[in-house]
Amino acid sequence: MKSGKVNYHSVHSIDEAITLSQTHEGNVKYIAGGQSLTPMMNLRLIFSEEIIDISKIQELKQSYFFQGRFFIGAAVTHAMIEDGKVNDPTNGYLQYVAQGIAYRGVRNKGTIGGSIVNADPAADWPTALLALGASVMIKDLTNDIETPIGHFQCGLMQTTLKESDLVKGVLVPDLSKDAKWSYVKFCHKVGEFAHSIAAIVIDPNLGIFNAALGAAGDKPILLPRLSEYLKSVNISNNDFEIELNDILERDLLENINHLPSSYEFNLHRSIIKKAVMEALIK
Amino acid sequence: MSLISIHVNNQAFEIEIDDRMSLADFLRNTINLTGTHLACELGVCGSCTVLVNDEPIRSCITLAASVSGMSVQTIEGFEEDSKMKVIRECFSEAHGLQCGFCTPGMLITVRDMIIRDKCKTENQIRKELSGNLCRCTGYAGIVKATELAIQRINNQEDHFVGQGKI
Amino acid sequence: MDKPGKGVGARILRKEDARHLHGKGQFVSDIQIPGIIEVAFVRSSYAHGIIKNIQIPDEFKDKVFQASDFPNVKPIIAVPKVDGFKYSEHPALAFDRVRFAGEPIAMAIGANRSIAEDIADSVYVDIEELPAVVDLLEATQSDSPLIREEWGDNIYVSKHSQYGDIELAQQQAAVRIERSFKMNRQSAAPLEGRAILAMWDHRLNELVVYIGSQSPHQTRVGMAQALGIDENQLHLITPDMGGAFGAKRVLYPEELMVVALALKLKKPVRWIDDKREHLMTAIHCREHHHKVIAYADSQGKILGLDVDIHVDAGAYSHWPNGPFMETGMASRNIPGPYVVPNYRVKTFTVATNKSPIGAYRGVARPAACFTIERIIDEIAHAVGREPYMVRMENMVPEESMPYRNITNLLFDSGNYAESVRRAAELIEFQKIRLRQQNGEKDGRLIGVGFASFTEQTAHGCGEWVSRGVPVIPGYETASARMMTDGSLIISVGIVSHGQGMETSLAQVACEELGIDPIHVSIRHGDTQTSAFGMGTFASRSMVMAGGAVAKACRLLKSKIGVIAAHLLGCQLQDLSFEDDLIHGPTSSIALKEVARIAHLRQEALPKGIDPLLEVLVTYEPNIDTGVFTYATQVAVVAVDVDTGKVDILDYAIVEDCGTVVNPLIVDGQIIGGIAQGIGTALYEEIPYNENGQPLATTLADYLIPGATEIPAIKIGHMVSPSEHTEYGMKGMGEGGAIAPPAAIANAIRDALKSLGAELNETPMTPPRVYAAIMKAKGKLSKSSEVTL
Repeated sequence: MKSGKVNYHSVHSIDEAITLSQTHEGNVKYIAGGQSLTPMMNLRLIFSEEIIDISKIQELKQSYFFQGRFFIGAAVTHAMIEDGKVNDPTNGYLQYVAQGIAYRGVRNKGTIGGSIVNADPAADWPTALLALGASVMIKDLTNDIETPIGHFQCGLMQTTLKESDLVKGVLVPDLSKDAKWSYVKFCHKVGEFAHSIAAIVIDPNLGIFNAALGAAGDKPILLPRLSEYLKSVNISNNDFEIELNDILERDLLENINHLPSSYEFNLHRSIIKKAVMEALIK
Repeated sequence: MSLISIHVNNQAFEIEIDDRMSLADFLRNTINLTGTHLACELGVCGSCTVLVNDEPIRSCITLAASVSGMSVQTIEGFEEDSKMKVIRECFSEAHGLQCGFCTPGMLITVRDMIIRDKCKTENQIRKELSGNLCRCTGYAGIVKATELAIQRINNQEDHFVGQGKI
Repeated sequence: MDKPGKGVGARILRKEDARHLHGKGQFVSDIQIPGIIEVAFVRSSYAHGIIKNIQIPDEFKDKVFQASDFPNVKPIIAVPKVDGFKYSEHPALAFDRVRFAGEPIAMAIGANRSIAEDIADSVYVDIEELPAVVDLLEATQSDSPLIREEWGDNIYVSKHSQYGDIELAQQQAAVRIERSFKMNRQSAAPLEGRAILAMWDHRLNELVVYIGSQSPHQTRVGMAQALGIDENQLHLITPDMGGAFGAKRVLYPEELMVVALALKLKKPVRWIDDKREHLMTAIHCREHHHKVIAYADSQGKILGLDVDIHVDAGAYSHWPNGPFMETGMASRNIPGPYVVPNYRVKTFTVATNKSPIGAYRGVARPAACFTIERIIDEIAHAVGREPYMVRMENMVPEESMPYRNITNLLFDSGNYAESVRRAAELIEFQKIRLRQQNGEKDGRLIGVGFASFTEQTAHGCGEWVSRGVPVIPGYETASARMMTDGSLIISVGIVSHGQGMETSLAQVACEELGIDPIHVSIRHGDTQTSAFGMGTFASRSMVMAGGAVAKACRLLKSKIGVIAAHLLGCQLQDLSFEDDLIHGPTSSIALKEVARIAHLRQEALPKGIDPLLEVLVTYEPNIDTGVFTYATQVAVVAVDVDTGKVDILDYAIVEDCGTVVNPLIVDGQIIGGIAQGIGTALYEEIPYNENGQPLATTLADYLIPGATEIPAIKIGHMVSPSEHTEYGMKGMGEGGAIAPPAAIANAIRDALKSLGAELNETPMTPPRVYAAIMKAKGKLSKSSEVTL
């Protein structure tokens, strides 16, 4: 399983990357960690002639607070977040998500930017960042664009990126001290892609009430009824469980393409429920 | 084609390579370090694990061109490493290898786990090992070797501290 | 249990560790040869079709080879000597018809694999698609498309056997259990795939072939036949091998063609199997469908078994054995370790458009064990008794040994029921029953399940003849050459590839000669340095090669003894061999001194004794019906009824493989085998879609268990030495893999008892577990259908 022919370019600035991409009329693949791209090259599922290595661009490795939110550069690796080398303004949520991605050898190279650009609905960051209400910072030919992550991923392995666009990083909220979160995923085997992912983030101060479901369709989704329910939920309420079940049932019926009698439907319901309980009990 | 400059096991190389060449193929075929093994070529099994700038990565899904300017350490490059010496002894005593194919990647991973202090419980050890597949041992010997190694390495280091050497 | 010293029974560390721990192993892909040519195969993208045309771009015409370039290479023919086994040929490169997705059609070459793959990709094969035969039961229907028209059906062979009177059992029975069991298709998936490097040696006028093979001597036979060359011009060497488990025992078409190409080009040619090729086209295994009706009395005593066995054997018959062993072994092992008075069995070895099957660790016994062990549990449930008790009561008792079971397997020795009892103890059975009463905080249901089995090992000539295999692996060889300094080289016909035989066979030499294993070099895998031998498979190597090494060392010992007695001036019977010395009543002499004299100081030898210390022997155990290792495995599982996830909380095995040569190595084989069994039970599967396309062809889809999926395993040993082997040892390499699917399925059954849900299909993935639960909730009647 050897890759087809490619031309490799290493660049050291965002402008260099975009300019080079333009030179090749956008027929390029940006590579950061390569943990998704290189396997596909080895399988010859991707035939990109020009590979532009953006992993050495310093600007993409940075992270800092920016206007009340926190910017994480696209080339920041999962291991950097796992190890706490990056400030975690989410009360441990980012760190928890990062340490569960694949295996350490992959985490040492895989990047948060690479993960969201690859846009695999069964990967971790797309769902996890959706629950945070994160935004994606994109540099196109002329501008810096901020896109909410829910819009950014628009289909199976598809994003709104245009030719030559480069993801600079993500912006995540600086969660309040009493914010609650949970992140639950279901895999048959540790480290493989998930068959269901539920991510919950509740921060009343910031107005964040998000329940996200991944690995259930072409892209991760926010569950509207459940998210709304999180605003007023009271776990000690007698009717809590009945209400929750009803809401989950309806959210799933309305938002995923699986029959209620199917295994997938029940799996997702089970995982979301688990995530809700974990988040609320904290 | 790209000209790459790379340190492998403390030896400098400057070689022109095909851009699509993986680091694993570079190590095995270009500079004849065949201790790094290829099995899945997808980044799943960990047989190809080497250190790049002291971090374990999968060399089968790393372009050789992308590590130009970096320092690579393969299984052949740990002859003077005191931790690896202990880990090797423990692997033998605990029967942590059978056919030997996964072993180089396994050893490098275990050493990294010990350095990062991720061997506090059997469960943690198994989780950290989950990225290195072994088809022969059923992992029991590998887990035992890791537990043994971390005990011995800690004792060694305590011993040194006790003697006033840090 | 460990013996002191360095002989048989000692827990000495492995000699082979030294090179592997330093990355100095030498696998076929590690061998560096200048000017090597790498091969990439052009393979069929269709499961079934007629090849119309092979289009090669002009610039690559001399870089692509097809069947027509090798008119002298004969097709591979493997037709077991079994009544009614239909004849077929397996062309190494398809030229008119393709019969499974991935079948090799042409070879592309390049200076490296990347280039070879570029060229392979440029070749267009025009195939007229034919309907694919995919489902093994549908393949036997009269309206199924045919894979070989001349057969008239898709059945390699069918065999019906009757033992006793099944109708009588039916009449007498108080309990009737009817079930279907399915094990799905998987791969042996060793970490290192197939690998072969062939090059012509001009000086020796031979083709040197480095090949990952469990039986290089045997493979040489098949290659020489197909290529039409003399065997003395074919030198196969198996260097280090990254696991095999049965996947490297057959002669693959790709291997034959690499050798043919090397002969044609007179250049070094190599092919390294990548994981995708391996999962698609190396041997497949485990795909069985069993339909069973079991009859028992009101206490749960088995009265009879009525069984239909279908095995999906794939598109071709692999050399040497073909696929018949799978149904043969299944039918003989379904009675398990039990007394079964009446048995009727019909077997069907079915051809489909899938990769051909081979004998993967355990062969058909995991499927047979799955069937009989699930049946025993269902009988127990039907009569309201503990499964492990019903199991024990049905077992062949120790006092009946040797016992010829209903399918003519001669159980030699052992206390099968005791292994169950001890396994229950090891797993703390009563505690689990208590725990079940209390319930789990997380809402999961826990259960405990047993599975027992016998493992026929080191069987000899008669047994293999009865199986109809064309090559009879009934013996092994060893040559022992003592050097002039007393160090020893022992060459054997088996191939150690993880089983530690460079160490354990040296321990045998130590046991006989008192020589330190450090001075003993075990050579294996090289067809030129060892006499003909059959190889490593069927749990035979330690018994067969160990026996040969013991015999060879004893011959050496007697000659050395005569010389030593002469030099020490004492009687032969007064000598003892220990610590590299030979001790007489009043003085001693070093082994190496005797060796020096035997080679370099001929004048000191006693009259009538020739120089040199070198012998060659063949060996077989003194019965050929095999020596039977047995074990009981027990699993404790937790089932999440919402997600279907099964976690193994605890696992134990009590096994008896007779005398243990090296406990470290034996435990390693047990655990490794169990890990593969757990893979079969819960994770591994290659599904095919209706077009015959395999759906799991990378390790991303084909799930091999990692360290988090395999629990710690408790091991108990019993020792019933065999009367028929050296030191009383028995083979045991496969056993671990036989019982886990059954033990885990029984544990899940126990966990879900209140729901009445059963899992009768592997792997028992979360969706299948969930479906079984839903089915039980929907239909309260006992299931006779295969789930999912």
